[in-house]
Amino acid sequence: MRRFIVKGGENGAAIVPGDLTKSLLHQQLIKGEMPPEDKHLKAEEIALIGQWIAAGAPTLRDEPENLSGFTITEEERNFWSLRPVKSPPLPKIKHREQVKTAIDTFLLAKLEKSGHNFNPTADKTTLIRRLSYDLTGLPPSPVEITTFLSDQQPGAYERLVDRLLASEHFGERWARHWLDVAGYSDSEGYTARDTVRNWSWKYRDYIVQAFNHNLPFDQFIREQLAGDEMVKSPYKNLSPEQQSKLAATGFLRMAPDGTGSGPDDQKIARNQVVADTIQIVSTSLLGTTMMCAQCHNHRYDPIPQSDYYSMRAVFEPAFDLVHWKNPASRRVSLYTDQNKADAAKVEKKAKVMNDARLKLETKYVNEVVEIEIAKLPKEIQNPIRIARNTEEKKRNEAQQLLLKDNPRIKKASGGSLYLYNRKASDEIKKLAADIKAVRDTKPPLNYIRAMWEKPGAKPPLTHLFNRGDHQQPKETVPPAGLTVLGEWGAGAIPDNNPDLASTGRRLAYAEKLTNGKHPLVSRVLINRFWSHLFGQGIVTTLGDFGTLGTLPTHPELLDWMAADFSSHGWDFKRSLKQMLMSAAYRQSSDRKADLNQIDPQNHLIGRMSVRRLDAESIRDSVLVMSEKFNPKLYGPPVPVMEDEVGQIVVGKENKDGEGKPGETLGLDNQEFRRSLYIQARRSRPLAVLQSFDRPDMVETNCTERNSSTVAPQALMLMNSQFITDFSIHMAKRLQREHPADLDAQIKFAWNLIYGRPASTAEASDALSFIENEQRILPAAAAVAKSAKPAKGKTATPTPDLATLSLATFCQALLSSNEFLYLN
Amino acid sequence: MFTSRRDFLNRSGMGIGSVALSWLMQREQTFARPVSGKAESFDLLPKQPFERPKAQAMISMFMQGGPSHIDLMDPKPLLEKFAGKPFPGKIKYDNAAQASSTVLACPWKYSRCGESGMEISELLPHLQGIADDITIIRSMTTGVNNHGQSIHSLNTGRVTPGNPALGAWLSYGLGNQTDELPAFMVLKDPRGLPVEGVRNWSNGWLPSLYQGTVVRSKEPRIANLDAPPHLKGEPQKRYLSYLDQLNRQHLDQHPGELELEARISSYELAAKMQTAAKDALDISGESKATKQLYGIDDPATEEFGTRCLIARRLVERGVRFVQLFTKNQYWDHHGTIRKRLPESCQYIDQPAAALVQDLKGRGLLDTTLVHWGGEMGRLPVIQNDTGPDKVGRDHNTYGFSMWLAGGGVRGGHIHGATDEWGHHAVLDKVTHHDYHATLLHLFGLDANKLRFKRNGLPVGLIPPSDSGEVIRAILKS
Repeated sequence: MRRFIVKGGENGAAIVPGDLTKSLLHQQLIKGEMPPEDKHLKAEEIALIGQWIAAGAPTLRDEPENLSGFTITEEERNFWSLRPVKSPPLPKIKHREQVKTAIDTFLLAKLEKSGHNFNPTADKTTLIRRLSYDLTGLPPSPVEITTFLSDQQPGAYERLVDRLLASEHFGERWARHWLDVAGYSDSEGYTARDTVRNWSWKYRDYIVQAFNHNLPFDQFIREQLAGDEMVKSPYKNLSPEQQSKLAATGFLRMAPDGTGSGPDDQKIARNQVVADTIQIVSTSLLGTTMMCAQCHNHRYDPIPQSDYYSMRAVFEPAFDLVHWKNPASRRVSLYTDQNKADAAKVEKKAKVMNDARLKLETKYVNEVVEIEIAKLPKEIQNPIRIARNTEEKKRNEAQQLLLKDNPRIKKASGGSLYLYNRKASDEIKKLAADIKAVRDTKPPLNYIRAMWEKPGAKPPLTHLFNRGDHQQPKETVPPAGLTVLGEWGAGAIPDNNPDLASTGRRLAYAEKLTNGKHPLVSRVLINRFWSHLFGQGIVTTLGDFGTLGTLPTHPELLDWMAADFSSHGWDFKRSLKQMLMSAAYRQSSDRKADLNQIDPQNHLIGRMSVRRLDAESIRDSVLVMSEKFNPKLYGPPVPVMEDEVGQIVVGKENKDGEGKPGETLGLDNQEFRRSLYIQARRSRPLAVLQSFDRPDMVETNCTERNSSTVAPQALMLMNSQFITDFSIHMAKRLQREHPADLDAQIKFAWNLIYGRPASTAEASDALSFIENEQRILPAAAAVAKSAKPAKGKTATPTPDLATLSLATFCQALLSSNEFLYLN
Repeated sequence: MFTSRRDFLNRSGMGIGSVALSWLMQREQTFARPVSGKAESFDLLPKQPFERPKAQAMISMFMQGGPSHIDLMDPKPLLEKFAGKPFPGKIKYDNAAQASSTVLACPWKYSRCGESGMEISELLPHLQGIADDITIIRSMTTGVNNHGQSIHSLNTGRVTPGNPALGAWLSYGLGNQTDELPAFMVLKDPRGLPVEGVRNWSNGWLPSLYQGTVVRSKEPRIANLDAPPHLKGEPQKRYLSYLDQLNRQHLDQHPGELELEARISSYELAAKMQTAAKDALDISGESKATKQLYGIDDPATEEFGTRCLIARRLVERGVRFVQLFTKNQYWDHHGTIRKRLPESCQYIDQPAAALVQDLKGRGLLDTTLVHWGGEMGRLPVIQNDTGPDKVGRDHNTYGFSMWLAGGGVRGGHIHGATDEWGHHAVLDKVTHHDYHATLLHLFGLDANKLRFKRNGLPVGLIPPSDSGEVIRAILKS
């Protein structure tokens, strides 16, 4: 503060504005007395201070009178991401011939400043591979490639874009991106138990459907934050649309949650769930590290601690820490009244059948008991009959002893009937099976895991927690959006909406986030979509648009796209298509030497970035290419288990009491489903996915995936059971499609895996590799054959040498960079 | 007969340059060679440092959360006088909210240890036993008072995430001493990742070749080390060489894509790791005495002991940088410090001391720099003044302690001091930049010269706006 400097301390004024010689501070600086000890300012720094004093010590604007409380400065308010989104005019550019969409003009404008422009369009085989992976996460099939290559009509590229945007695999691919930020998991986490989270997948399916049906993104957000407040309670006889709105609120149920699995401290665990949910909402939608303001005012961004708790107040009524819902009870039953009536009818019938079965069973048991009794000496026949028919607790000592001496009489029961009379027992068993079959005709139980508020409940107060400690509640705070955003943000949220059974806070908040004025939401979303197509965001820190994040490389482009998005009905596919149709996206990935010098990281987008396939794309491609792929959409997750070396693989856990693996249980081709549908348990990440950087969600959510290059990935592709199994499947497919024609098999593999024909040299190199391999494999294969199968595992027949050598060739292609990277 | 490459280095007394040369000459043809016609190419071949190095490897035991220096290795008798009374000076709290100004004396006893007589708390009895082998720096400071920023400062030289970690810098600057194991390996706590997670072993903006390889916290510590039965031996060799051919043809068409190159190297490394890593991570051949030394026979110390022993086995085999982390906020004792600090100490004390002793016994300590410390210390006053067993201490990055051993660092030495309260470093302050300058110096590197071209600008471990001084006083003469 200038006024404090002017006022000074014990030695009088530190400075006299306009007068250097009377300014004590300046004098001491010159003499080197300030700062104390051995630190000195540089001459130019002292000169700068001198200039400031000489100029009368001006300040940028009037300093605040009062310093108490949290002040937000003008500079903070004007931070780029906190200003309203304004659609800028298109810049003027030279290379007009390169422009395909408005996006290109913004990029070219900057490129041209450094004397560059776009790369030429990539060739068609590159484009179809790029598009297929970016839009569906799957490789283009050889037929699809041929179709595209032979389509010489204008608009071929756009037709391909449209076809892929309409593919049902599109929703799966883009759902996965969203599930990363939402922190999707099929388990509760938090404690070592990591309990399975049943019905979590209903949220996953909702997301896939939302993307496939191109649900307007504003609605998509509103449903996830407040879908329950859009459905009238009680939640009974729900229409598909209502079900979908409730499933959407799974978003608020994604945080790790140990409250149902015996946490050390229940209260801390509950608070953590709320804190993690706030983290998910703020990083995914606001690009804000809100969680930094849980214990104190945000250190870097203008977010007071009270803002954190005001955001918490939006969600507090739904969580209600006092009337806490355990994870298992957070489900809405989809049983309709008709379902219930049907089930009751079935149960009634089953009960009649069961009563008859019990009666018959008792009859048979009595019969065998009589046969046994008849074998005993006459004098004890009656006493033992009486003893057996006496209730166990009421038997006297003699009776107990008598029965103890005759276990065959004591132990006869429905359960042990088979030991006495096999035929009778089988008859009873058959009846039981019939009854079960009848009960199975009941409509299956079906739930949605959702978030909702108790209707009509008094909303709990939200307190600011001193240091984030729930044991130290301070003043109450009202629900509200970020203060710094002022009128552009969510602002004050009404405490209660009398028209709703719930408080309506989340619905009001969601509406403000999506009203088209909020500075952060549309920018954050567009930036995220962009990053999935270009490999990095315009703001490279996808989850942090604050001062610790990076500045946008193309702020005007980001704003133009954000404004366009929200003003065109938040039409997600439309925005995406705009990006896909741009010349920028269609460029080749070649590095031009001179541009590479100044922009090795491709911030200017003068080329397409070379990107590694993500974990799911790698696994899913292998399934498709080996023709094992099961394309079924939706449904409960496919289970995972530990294999004998402790790696997590797809499979049904089948261990005996000592933890030894039993026989492998069949999965009916479920094991060949897309990675999206494999159970995502936090403590049991599927090994092949984990090694390629699929987040395990132990850390709540993932705003940006890592793309690592480490030796364990190489080991996975060299040695894992996964890769050897599927290489063999793939080899068998090649043999099926081109029997006894190795040359054709090779060429087909090339088309399948690389999406392009093999050159003559490549095909002949491959041929000699396979032939060589076939020559040297016998010795190794013999060793493999003689090796004992692992305990509890049946030996799988070793494929013949032709298949094995072809499989090794497939494995080489699958381990190679041309497969693992997109150009 | 030399039992290991490191052993060979030590006994032959040669500088790394000549060893590297002779080793390079006998190396196989298959190792990644720079692709011709390219401006820059990166590899893990051993590099000649600027000066003759003291240290050739480093093991860092990172105690995430911030161990209380006042209670462990920086005794402050004045606190006893003022115990329960208000702290007279100014305190820099992380946050004033739960703070009190009531002084909290150290509840534990210190004793003088070793020939130097340095004072170490009874909570670390095994550390007391190796006092003559360590330098305690009592004047550490990073000045950024929260975990994320402070751990980034100490591990990457910068407060923000996304920058290269120490291990990445050392791998970049010096390459590796083995081509059979990664240069930078991370042994994480099975109970969880440290604060900031995987960012702590990121290559940042250095090529991805330099990122840390994480060893799984349970067996198999590195998965998929065995070739499939039908490919064992020659068939897999041919597969790898065919794969290499495919990858190099592909790389020729994508000049300048460093990540493609890094992946090629990753296969070469992986192939060698198949035998080397298996051997390095298998502690079953270690003697009973060694296992006891590390506390592997005791459930309380087994986990950390095993990791320390593996760390020794890794540097013994030529890994450049091994870092061990404790789980998220394990040392962040804001409350219940009387109970939790002793628990944390017990978990690490015996293994950490054993590591130094064991390295020493094998003649490896002189060339292996061992680091133990967290990203902060703690305040002399009470946090959470709600009862004697509830009290804790708040963050303090203005003055805290860590210890170093081996690698050219003096033994039985105390460097620097905090004020009489243990709050601020006052004598011979050591910033994270000074620490980095020093450790690079020990490796024969120079913080002012080790540079990587980032966006056309040469930058180093110490950001251009800052500087660090080598702490001469802790160097062994």
